[in-house]
Amino acid sequence: MSLLRRVLWNVRDHPKRELWFAWWVMVIFYQLYGVLFFLVTRVQPPPSPAWSTPMVVQWFDARHYGILAGFGIVFLISGLCAPMNALLAYSMRRMSVSQIFGYSYLVMYSLSAIPGMLVMAIAMTAGAMRPDRDPEMIRWLYDFAFLSFSGTMGVFMIGSLVWLVAILLDKNDVFPKWFGYLGLCNALTEFVVAPAWIFQRGVFAWNGAIAWWINMVVFVTYTACFIVLLRRMIVREDFGTGRLPDLPPKPERSEADSVGAMQ
Amino acid sequence: MTNLQEGSPTEAERQATRFVPGQPDMWVFVLFESLLFTGYFSVYLVGRIQNRELYLQSQAALDLRFGVFNTIALLLSSWAIARCVQASREGAYRDALRDAFLTIGFGVAFLVSKVLEWGKEIRLGNTFTSNEFFQHFFFLTSIHLLHLLIGFIVMGVAVYQLWSPARRSQLLVETCATYWHTVDFLWVLIFALLYVVR
Repeated sequence: MSLLRRVLWNVRDHPKRELWFAWWVMVIFYQLYGVLFFLVTRVQPPPSPAWSTPMVVQWFDARHYGILAGFGIVFLISGLCAPMNALLAYSMRRMSVSQIFGYSYLVMYSLSAIPGMLVMAIAMTAGAMRPDRDPEMIRWLYDFAFLSFSGTMGVFMIGSLVWLVAILLDKNDVFPKWFGYLGLCNALTEFVVAPAWIFQRGVFAWNGAIAWWINMVVFVTYTACFIVLLRRMIVREDFGTGRLPDLPPKPERSEADSVGAMQ
Repeated sequence: MTNLQEGSPTEAERQATRFVPGQPDMWVFVLFESLLFTGYFSVYLVGRIQNRELYLQSQAALDLRFGVFNTIALLLSSWAIARCVQASREGAYRDALRDAFLTIGFGVAFLVSKVLEWGKEIRLGNTFTSNEFFQHFFFLTSIHLLHLLIGFIVMGVAVYQLWSPARRSQLLVETCATYWHTVDFLWVLIFALLYVVR
């Protein structure tokens, strides 16, 4: 079968095309998120909250075009959160647990995109777009942006716990239990961000070794795990309501992924 | 669906207990938590190397009696949960339940002692914002206490399992015990670092 025919079939007729679409959106979104925040805008890793006003102004100056262009793209792609969150909620709806879990997760994660991404991007852009603005105002925007970003951690904490409870109660075996327990680790590291409200220096400040660096390692591990596990869930999905079938052996798996389902 | 019958809890339990006690999944948690706390301890030790005098002075302000009492309380709780697992394996569920409640009791003793210790330190003026050592002290003991509080929920699951003949999953009881031992294991490390190492 030609590649074109295969692509067309996947787009038109693949029974799991919406699930695969959402999964690929998730992969692309996280890649873009990393590139935009770390390389283009360079607002992450976060700078120190203890910086003086001239240092903050200089920080914005050094990133002027990166912030404007990078956050312009962030606004363009922010809608990608929708299919991504939908897939996460879908995983919970596929479990044997109450649908309350899926809905709670969906609402929480949709809301967290506002302060964690959009408000932060607006504040950063406002800080960068007029370099001649009152320096104190620029510093205010700097604090506002990073506090808005850190402030979503409570939502992620509860979100991880909701997912954890759903996985532990689930009898359909949608996710392995170890991922549920990993969710507890992730939730606890989100809890650790709370002291960033008190400290401007040290390991608990918003750029600190404990409040940011260790959390980031755990969050990236957690995210990588759920991306892989969601992929497995899609491969295993039979659109039933009972236990998810086991992962098929490799040769069959590639057929289940795409054109094999045609026959 | 045949898979449901093949994957019945009894079979799963038999298979899982052959390798490690409880769900192997919980051991992933143990491993990950150990790595996470290794990170926290490393940050503490780096801070300590950079500011040795401050850490030594602040450490001297801690009441070692609280630390020792807490360690004994948690070690006893670990002993009790180990007995609980043993009794449950032998089918002595009444004894297992008693040991589970004993575990919770020692946990509560730790909780009360920890709150009293915090109260004492705060009255002495040693708070979360006092200095770098006390930041670590309150952080590590708080995050550990959070694990202990979650441990009470976990022990609730163990008691729920042991309570009725209709449940009594050995796999779950051992999984709960694994979690509880992790709480104890982490405390021993925290105790050594905060109270003992000079």
